[in-house]
Amino acid sequence: MNDSMSIPHLIMNASGVVQLVMLLLLVASILSWVVVFQRSFVMRKARKTHRQFEDRFWSGVDLNELYRETPAEQETQGAEHIFRAGFREFNRLMPKTRSPQAILDGVQRSMRVAWSREEERLNLHLVFLATVASASPYIGLFGTVWGIMGSFQSLSMAQQATLATVAPWIAEALIATAMGLFAAIPAVIFYNRLSSESSRLLGKYEDFAEEFHSILHRNLQGRSDSGTA
Amino acid sequence: MAKRQRRIRAPGEGYTLPAILAVGLHLGLLILSVIKWPVSPPETPNTAIVQATLISTETTTDQAQQAAEARTRAAQRAAEEAAAAEAERQAQEQAEEQARQEAEAEAQRQEEAEQAARREAEAERQQAAEEAQAEAERRAAEAEAARQREAEEEARRQAEQQEAERQREAEEEARRQQEAERQAQEEAERQAQEEAERQAQEEAERQAQEEAERQAQEEAERQAQEEAERQAREEAERRAQEEADREAQQQAEQELQRIIEGDTDAVSNAAQGEQAANGFIQTVKAAVEQAWNIPPNVGDGASATLEVRLGPSGEIFAVTVSRSSGDSAFDNSAIDAVEAAGPFSELLQLPSGLQRDYRQFSLNFSPGGIR
Repeated sequence: MNDSMSIPHLIMNASGVVQLVMLLLLVASILSWVVVFQRSFVMRKARKTHRQFEDRFWSGVDLNELYRETPAEQETQGAEHIFRAGFREFNRLMPKTRSPQAILDGVQRSMRVAWSREEERLNLHLVFLATVASASPYIGLFGTVWGIMGSFQSLSMAQQATLATVAPWIAEALIATAMGLFAAIPAVIFYNRLSSESSRLLGKYEDFAEEFHSILHRNLQGRSDSGTA
Repeated sequence: MAKRQRRIRAPGEGYTLPAILAVGLHLGLLILSVIKWPVSPPETPNTAIVQATLISTETTTDQAQQAAEARTRAAQRAAEEAAAAEAERQAQEQAEEQARQEAEAEAQRQEEAEQAARREAEAERQQAAEEAQAEAERRAAEAEAARQREAEEEARRQAEQQEAERQREAEEEARRQQEAERQAQEEAERQAQEEAERQAQEEAERQAQEEAERQAQEEAERQAQEEAERQAREEAERRAQEEADREAQQQAEQELQRIIEGDTDAVSNAAQGEQAANGFIQTVKAAVEQAWNIPPNVGDGASATLEVRLGPSGEIFAVTVSRSSGDSAFDNSAIDAVEAAGPFSELLQLPSGLQRDYRQFSLNFSPGGIR
């Protein structure tokens, strides 16, 4: 009796559709956990590098020197990437035009592009987590409904309807719902946590972009003042 | 695009470590659930409220070997009993034959004894006749004396009457008649004495002879019969015992051989019946569990044992409390549960040999960890 009601035994004896649903939910759970771990590492690293870069940026170092020290654009991340994109655009536009407004527009545009790339990088695969979180309970429910349908079909063939004839069917059908919830709950929790972290980082990047923009603006303003004066 | 690709695969953002971690997490959970499962079953049996155990046929549900052993033991016992019974029967038959022979011999002996008895009886009769004659003489003498006394009294009474009459009629005539009466008295006395003597002698002789003959015959017959019967019984018993012993040995050997032959069949039958019996027990348990409404305010430790007897088609004959829980409400609820769960028509699905064994079993009720 205990043997026939154990979870592995129930899974092995389930009908094909229910087994398929369970397999799907297992794969979804594994993938969502892969995303959770990967995003957690990415977020932690992004936070760390942003803190280091901000420390260096506000330490009073010369911007040209900072630009030279930073690695190539492909390997930079976060605020460093935004700074590099903006400063490069600033350096390219400086010799071509005298209008500070045109320079600042170009810098802002290139920084917005870099910021949106950073946004894409940080939010990568978070949609998958959201999908697993919202869909897997329904998938599990589908498996349960299918299993209970089977149980009632078999019940209609039995002469004597006791709880003992229905119980194994319902138990194995409910395992599908359990697995759906098992996949959905961590996905929901980590989706909220990771998306809030990513939006907080993006906010910091935006702040940095604005601050860098104001620094460049001050620099251009001083230069045009000195140029006119 | 290529730029982004390279950036995504930057160190610290690879997918191998997260994948390993995720798969490891799931495997860990799976192993935990699998390993934990054998440990947790002790919790699940709490839901099993009714533990049904069979009284009569615990051996059949045991392993086949034990069943076989038990069966051989039972068969040996049965064989011994059967042998003993047959030996007794044969001994009885032989004893009867012997008794018949003995009875014939006895009859012959009885005839001899009767002849002897007749001879003895004749001798006794002669003796008795002599004694009877002596007695008769004695009795005759006594009778004579009595008659004389009676006669004298009568005569005296008559004489007194006559005298009274004569006195009334005539005193002279009385005197004359007194002489005559005296003569008449003497004659009457003589006649009466003679007659009495003769009759007494004859009667006494006849009675004595008859009695003596009857007693002698009876005694002789009784003694002869008793002796003959005793001898016959002793001999019959001796021969019956001898024969019975021999027959019992032969029978026991035959039975042993038959048991050894039937043993393998019994083992396979036990193994087959075991499964069906277990199924039946499970069915009964499940049905009773479902029908049981545990009354409130019953302690967890309460348990009652009921004894259930079923009819041949599974209908409930009797439900008795063999061990009460001390709480009559609890006992009654258990009885109600069994009666509501019946009839157990699954009994008919058992092999016919097992049906009889499973028609009586006991159920143990305990509320377990449900509440």
